Amino acid sequence: MNKPIFACNRREFFGRLGTGLGGIALTSLLQREAAGAHSTSSGQGALPHYRPKARRVIQLFMNGGASQCDLFDFKPELIARHGQKFEPGGGQRVEATVSVPGAVMKSPFEFARHGQCGRWVSSALPHLARHVDDLAFLMAMQSKSNVHGPAAYLQTSGFFLPGFPCAGAWISYALGSLADDVPAFVALPDARGLPYNGRSAFTAGFLPANHQGTILHASAAQPMTHLHPPAGASNITAASRSEGLALLQTLNAAHAAERPDDSRLRARIESYELAARFQLSAPTLLDLKGETQATQKLYGLDQLATADFGRRCLLARRMIERGVRFVQVWSGHGGGADNWDNHGDIPRELGAAARSMDQPAAALLTDLKSRGLLEDTLLVWTTEFGRMPFSQGSSAGRDHNGGTFVSWFAGAGIRPGTAFGQSDEWSWKAVEGVTTNHDFHATILHLLGLNHERITVRHDGIDRRLTDVHGQVVEEILS
Amino acid sequence: MRRCSTAKPAWGIRALIGVMLGIAVAAGDNPSDQNKALWSLAPLAQPTVPPGAAHPIDAFVRARLAKKRLKPTPMASRRELLRRVSYDLTGLPPTPEELAAFVEDKDPQAYPALVERLLASPRHGEHWARHWLDVANYADTHGNDHDYARPHAWPYRDYVIRSLNNDKPYARFVQEQVAGDALFPEDSEATVALGFVAAGPWDHTLMVTVREDTVDHRTAQNLDRDNMVSTVIGTFQSLTIHCARCHNHKFDPISQREYYSLQAVFAGVDRANRPFDSNAGVHAERQRLRAERLSLEHPDEKTLARLETTGTIRQIEAWESARARREEVWAPLEILSIVSTGGANFTRQEDGSWFVDGPRPDRDTYVVTARRRPIRQAQGRSGKLSAIRLEVLPDERLPKRGPGRWDNGNFHLNEFRAFAALPGSTNGGTSIAFSRAMADYNEAPNISAAQAIDGKGESHWGVHPRYGEPHEAVFEIKEPKTFPEGTTFTLLLENLAGAVGHGIGRFRISASDIAPDSAVLTPLPMALAAILRVASAERSAPQRRELALAVLKDINQRALDRLPEPQLVYAITRDFPPDGENFKPSLEPRPIHVLMRGELGRTGELVGPGTLGCVPGMPASLAVAETDDESARRAALARWLTDPHNGLTWRSIVNRVWGWHFGRGLCETPNDFGRMGGTPSHPELLDWLAVWFRDEAHGSLKALHRFIVTSETWKQSTLTGHGQALDADNRLLWRQNRSRLSAEEVRDTVLALSGRLDLTMGGPPAVQFNARGDATFMPGGNPAFVDYEHFDPDAPAARRRAIYRFLFRTVPDPLMDALDCPDGGSVTAVRGVSTTAQQAFAMMNDAFLIRQCGHLAKRIESEATTAEAQAGEAFRRILLRDARSNERTALAGYIQRHGLPNACQLLINSNEFLYLD
Repeated sequence: MNKPIFACNRREFFGRLGTGLGGIALTSLLQREAAGAHSTSSGQGALPHYRPKARRVIQLFMNGGASQCDLFDFKPELIARHGQKFEPGGGQRVEATVSVPGAVMKSPFEFARHGQCGRWVSSALPHLARHVDDLAFLMAMQSKSNVHGPAAYLQTSGFFLPGFPCAGAWISYALGSLADDVPAFVALPDARGLPYNGRSAFTAGFLPANHQGTILHASAAQPMTHLHPPAGASNITAASRSEGLALLQTLNAAHAAERPDDSRLRARIESYELAARFQLSAPTLLDLKGETQATQKLYGLDQLATADFGRRCLLARRMIERGVRFVQVWSGHGGGADNWDNHGDIPRELGAAARSMDQPAAALLTDLKSRGLLEDTLLVWTTEFGRMPFSQGSSAGRDHNGGTFVSWFAGAGIRPGTAFGQSDEWSWKAVEGVTTNHDFHATILHLLGLNHERITVRHDGIDRRLTDVHGQVVEEILS
Repeated sequence: MRRCSTAKPAWGIRALIGVMLGIAVAAGDNPSDQNKALWSLAPLAQPTVPPGAAHPIDAFVRARLAKKRLKPTPMASRRELLRRVSYDLTGLPPTPEELAAFVEDKDPQAYPALVERLLASPRHGEHWARHWLDVANYADTHGNDHDYARPHAWPYRDYVIRSLNNDKPYARFVQEQVAGDALFPEDSEATVALGFVAAGPWDHTLMVTVREDTVDHRTAQNLDRDNMVSTVIGTFQSLTIHCARCHNHKFDPISQREYYSLQAVFAGVDRANRPFDSNAGVHAERQRLRAERLSLEHPDEKTLARLETTGTIRQIEAWESARARREEVWAPLEILSIVSTGGANFTRQEDGSWFVDGPRPDRDTYVVTARRRPIRQAQGRSGKLSAIRLEVLPDERLPKRGPGRWDNGNFHLNEFRAFAALPGSTNGGTSIAFSRAMADYNEAPNISAAQAIDGKGESHWGVHPRYGEPHEAVFEIKEPKTFPEGTTFTLLLENLAGAVGHGIGRFRISASDIAPDSAVLTPLPMALAAILRVASAERSAPQRRELALAVLKDINQRALDRLPEPQLVYAITRDFPPDGENFKPSLEPRPIHVLMRGELGRTGELVGPGTLGCVPGMPASLAVAETDDESARRAALARWLTDPHNGLTWRSIVNRVWGWHFGRGLCETPNDFGRMGGTPSHPELLDWLAVWFRDEAHGSLKALHRFIVTSETWKQSTLTGHGQALDADNRLLWRQNRSRLSAEEVRDTVLALSGRLDLTMGGPPAVQFNARGDATFMPGGNPAFVDYEHFDPDAPAARRRAIYRFLFRTVPDPLMDALDCPDGGSVTAVRGVSTTAQQAFAMMNDAFLIRQCGHLAKRIESEATTAEAQAGEAFRRILLRDARSNERTALAGYIQRHGLPNACQLLINSNEFLYLD
């Protein structure tokens, strides 16, 4: 399936995918409908709803709350009032999540204008600064929560609480994968650990289980759970497997022949074939030997600081080339350090996080562009919330701030070199062009040719969607 | 404009505008005005059984089939039936021997007898408890970003298993889980049942870490109650009450006000560990002492009369005469030196106490070295060191007159530690263990003197807000001991963590040799000490009364202390030790307001406890006499839920149970009987069963199981046939549905086949992963914290039934996950049945499955030597049938080339194994 498919109904759409993952996705869906586990609503109509600009998405997720006022949101006011008490005026209540608000704190990084568009970027991101003319910034994103768990859920699944499918799962559900030997949704967590909310950050929630993110641990001996037999299972060989699978399929085929009307039995037969195909394709997905030294160097694989994120950015490119629909690359894990949750020391903690991400993310932009992939690939950079313009108590860190934060888009359907929205003079609260996670998700779906209000699944009495009851496409950053 | 649902709401444009403008919709626009009646809210009456079949279920089902000109499918074979009913009632397969016996048994009573045997098996409760825990959304961790362990969740899991095995009547089962503590105080089991309301996820960060005054924290409290209300109403009433949090329910007759009145029912409780005694005698004694304590704390006339009885007066006299010598038993220590690790200064005061000033660092430890002074000799004294007293004293120079150094006058004594160094000893001495600590005043039950000897640096004793007064703590020594003359004692007063600069501002330390566990040692509040100074004949009536109450309380407390430690269950409670500054119990139910659009900032009307108004024949209000008694609120709701006239309750449970037997409920959305849910395929049958279950079966779930699995409808074959064209979906039940084994059934079966299934029941969860770090298992902090991949599949914990697994919400077991085991993220009324490549990978490559197949192969090899015979035996054990000759030949060839373990695994991967005909 190499050409985009426009107006055709869901059955036809999956039908074109033959016996591949899409085929299985279809059988799973039909079973769900038949079994009535969750009766799917027919609200979505033909998919995609209109001509998509983007065929696939790579999302870079800064786990922990990347500090907008130390990276992109330049505020001279913070320099002018550095060290003074933070008094926003107007009787506004200053609410820090886990600490007592300290004094106004200027960024320890220097800001400068970059590119034709003249975007401000701090010295923490020298590589990305060179790409601002390719990026479209959402400068006034806002989160309903100041706390990692719910804020990360809002940004992954659109809901405050656990149990809801995340964006990748919805996209997998709506569009499937672009090839029959790869999953539609792949998550690449940081080598140091899973993000906040653990595996629930990639959950399919109440959607069929095949839409959950396939987690690939890029540096682990076993990159995907159950991909290979465990070490020490010496009785299992390539021959035992291939002959065994053939015999299994014979037994299953005979069993299914006596039960001709049960599509689930055939789907299970197909699932083994898909697994076999995926097992064959996995090494080419994960093996970087085919990449030139120059490419590996571009992504920073030769340096300790950038090697992990760089490897995963490069893998993300290989995956979308091979038909994965949605790849999520996480920077930082869910613990108390080694992420973007910089409560203690912005220069040191944020500096390290930025260094590990900056060059690889810039390399991904360069690489996608030079290969022509940016034409129909959407690259998204985001985080769960921002940070406070004042210090956390007497430290040099900053507490959580759902009031304003920055995300950016690049690639398919995006108007490059633009910015939308603005925070107040402090970078404390979004004031103009306020964008929520719902708007953010609506925009991604829109670029994929999907109307976010029409991709729904009934669950527990409500027709649920990724954008809850909200969401507006941010037209201002679209080409 | 659409809210919550994209389906078209049935109410008018006016209401929509109202929502858009954020205006509460006026009563006249209530969705209950909708014309079409909701099937689930019709009064419950028992229809007449149609003629034509002996079993009422068959009669109803066949009447529908006849209308469609459909016929039931013939009965399943003996093999199919035995396999089906064994899994259905116990979650485990029959053995080949059981199969042979059942196939041979021509007695018409063989099947009913089999059903009885399975229902009586303890395995039955284990299997059906898993269904119930799906609905309760049970797990052993809190969920969310820092997914901490919930080490006391499991007693509730065991409660469910016991209740189902004992066939507890459903009404009682419901009542216990909502208000067991209030309705059945004599039964400790009923307290454990409250784990139900607390079983769902809980956001530790929002509730404990995030400051109490933030929007996030208050939102979390609101959503916490939302989860309680949704779980209770979703489970017992099958209504989607949560849809009315932001506005009146758009499809069902539930108003936003009703929703918040249900929140008010749970407004007094939080989720926390709740003590209980599994021993009935201890439970009764603790209940008695607690009741006595309550009567002493809030004395009524009867209690006051008791104070005047001769018995009580004698008790008080005895207590007081012992008490009179109290000051004699204490001798201040002779202080040799005091050093502050934080650089504070100490000045000796005239009364032998020490005043502290100078630097006030974040953390400080006072290191006191001292010797004992001889205590005035008196009769009966042992001379053994039995207790140490720490007096903390007010001083004009301290903030708010102290006794603490912090700005508000408080101190935090995180730990109080003592060491004794014998004369001539060169080290710091040996540690002295304390058995208990008491104070005249504790800030809170978990900010008490006991926290100063709990070995945990993060907990402490404090006296907020009783500043400017003297207080004292007495630390009783575990093993009183005589120390030789010249022994030096080192005492550490530690202000470590939690709050900075909370050192003590003025203190005095004394020692005693009086036998511990004596009333004399108990510190007394100031007012009481003053009464004791008045000669007993001269005391006023109020003074006598106050003293008598205090003495009886002291005696009561010591009796309580002598009881064994209670067990804990994670449940709802209004009485628990606060966790830090932000998560505290509410003594009174919290006020609940209607929130416009569900937003905290848009507070509407204050509401009291109430319930749904839409249930026919049921009052729309709760009979609560005292609205500030939170448990009375829950008790009233529990009674309302289990009222025989509440048709929803009875329809809900029979539909749920039906769904677990047939793979789909008569109404296919067991948690949603509203307009967005399904409509029943056999409404008359559903009502008939509901009434039968309530009135004739008296709520016996086992009777309902028996009734269903002995029907011909349930026993018929899954084979497709003539009905395929007319009713491919089998809504009319012209055949039985083919079902896939659940994740738990796969795991338990493989253990049963390998001969390694450990049938131990109950207890703390079996941790089936490698975990590093402490018992909180916090993931994220370290990628290896939760590691399923390298867990030893032969470890004892791996052999337990799957119901006893440690359920980690955010890091579920990959094998179980691939087989659609819910992860505890949200309530699972119906499990999905997915077919994925990931599942194929798991079935092929999971270490546990591979290892058990190895064990199974060894068992088979011990009985069959040739490959042919082994192939036949593998079929017999795994698929419970004889292999056809071509199958046996093919598998034997495979065994010869690749070994028996691979062959066993192959059969376990087959559809025939995984699906039940």
